[in-house]
Amino acid sequence: MKLRSIISIILQATRLLLILLVLWLSFDWKVRKARKAFEKELLEAGMAKKDAKKLSAWFSKLEKEIKQAVKTTIFAQR
Amino acid sequence: MAEKERECCSEKRKEKEEKEDIEELREVLSVVSKEVPALIKGIIGSIFSEEAGRDMGRAAAAFYKELKEAGLPEDVAVRMTEGYISAFTSLGEVLKQAVGGKKGVESKELEKEISRRIKEKLVEKGLAEKEEGENEED
Repeated sequence: MKLRSIISIILQATRLLLILLVLWLSFDWKVRKARKAFEKELLEAGMAKKDAKKLSAWFSKLEKEIKQAVKTTIFAQR
Repeated sequence: MAEKERECCSEKRKEKEEKEDIEELREVLSVVSKEVPALIKGIIGSIFSEEAGRDMGRAAAAFYKELKEAGLPEDVAVRMTEGYISAFTSLGEVLKQAVGGKKGVESKELEKEISRRIKEKLVEKGLAEKEEGENEED
């Protein structure tokens, strides 16, 4: 019973870490998708590609800031 | 003899408590491993998804179009659209602060909310009742 619970705890923790890792790794891809969709709408409205890229840079900036904030939080707690 | 019995009882009690702690940890982890990823996915998806990007782009594009139709020069329209997008940026700031763990009242409220939800889930699984029973015994 005790051993089973410990194994279950290890499995749950591993599962949680794996999911968080996948989320972290897929973050870039999600940002890229959102950025592309955002740019596409602006281009369809007649905006120049250069300006659309400039406006969509906000996504990448925010992504970097969030990643930095997460890293800072993790290292601050150690 | 009585001392031996007492020792045996306290050992058994310790073992029982240990078992219950492990069981409780297992339950909490099972809830956390389901709820936390879903919560994070939801928060990220609200800003960083194809649909969210398209919606924001559509709103910015409509704004830009209106300005152009009103006869504003290209550079002014772009600059104003940039200003319009900064409204989303403030939303992003909130998200950043939440992820970054800006210590203060907000994070405490978040902690309370999370612990409340975990307790709710534990109640669903009947673990809380067990805990209460133990407390009454003490």
